[in-house]
Amino acid sequence: MSKDRVSRRQFLSYTLTGVGGFMAAGILMPMVRFAVDPVLKAEAAGDFVATKQKVADLTNEPVRVDFTYKQKDAWYESDVTESAWVYKDDGGKIVALSPVCKHLGCTVNWGSDKEHPDQFFCPCHYGRYTKDGTNVPGTPPLAPLDVYPYKEKDGYLYLGKAKPRKEA
Amino acid sequence: MKWIPQDVETYSNAKEYVDTAVVPLYSVTIGGGIKQSAAAAEFITLLTNYLERQFTGRILLFPPFTYLEKEHGEKTLMDLQNWEVNMFDAGFQHVFYLTSDMEWRSKEDQLKGALIWLPSIPLDEMTDSQKLTMVDNQGKQLLTLFTHKWRNNE
Repeated sequence: MSKDRVSRRQFLSYTLTGVGGFMAAGILMPMVRFAVDPVLKAEAAGDFVATKQKVADLTNEPVRVDFTYKQKDAWYESDVTESAWVYKDDGGKIVALSPVCKHLGCTVNWGSDKEHPDQFFCPCHYGRYTKDGTNVPGTPPLAPLDVYPYKEKDGYLYLGKAKPRKEA
Repeated sequence: MKWIPQDVETYSNAKEYVDTAVVPLYSVTIGGGIKQSAAAAEFITLLTNYLERQFTGRILLFPPFTYLEKEHGEKTLMDLQNWEVNMFDAGFQHVFYLTSDMEWRSKEDQLKGALIWLPSIPLDEMTDSQKLTMVDNQGKQLLTLFTHKWRNNE
């Protein structure tokens, strides 16, 4: 027997601490995991939706890109189709604009107004936006078109959630 | 704008911009022909939703005017005329009806609003993307009809 003998009391208290610690960890770990879950999730998912648009096919002429994602409406899950006007600006940077008019929410079209073929045009109340999405003063809209954040993956365009810009 | 509280509230605040009412007309058959009746309703629903999406800011999409097909007669017409009076009184300048019920065509001249009759296309055999393209194509033609009417009235 060595000098530092482990007494019965010590042995029991070590064992209890060990087992107790193990049990506490078993209870706490899932709780911690649940608590941090939203943080981890936001990082991983990143809400980008794939489109059928190849990035290489984009030109400086805006094209309509449709994409579909699932939306949950109360207990009813449905496919929602949204569109974006996408083109490359002079610097070759991709611009993806939301087609939703900032006035009352109609769908704007590129160049559908004969007098302004190089602008976005809202057929409802004749609102106009320049190519970069800035609202033309004197027409009903009061803010520029929303912009989609985008990503390129395997040559295809991915779009995120449209974000409003500062007022022009 | 759809017939939901948020949209209707926007409408109330922006009445001067929303001058067009769209009313789908549903003919309901119970018994034989129930499937065609449902198919027609689906077709009209998809189209009116498409229109609403394009012209959200100028259109108020009303809940469908529904009637029994076999009862379709003078009373149905009077009911719709009553809707019409109320809508024009509320400040709508244009009223459009969308239907695939043939019956309405003979009554078109008794209505103040514009009747758009479309032969129903059965959609149940189509995939979702086919449906989308189809509604997109049909809808586009309707869009010009609307913009035309708006331009003429200014």
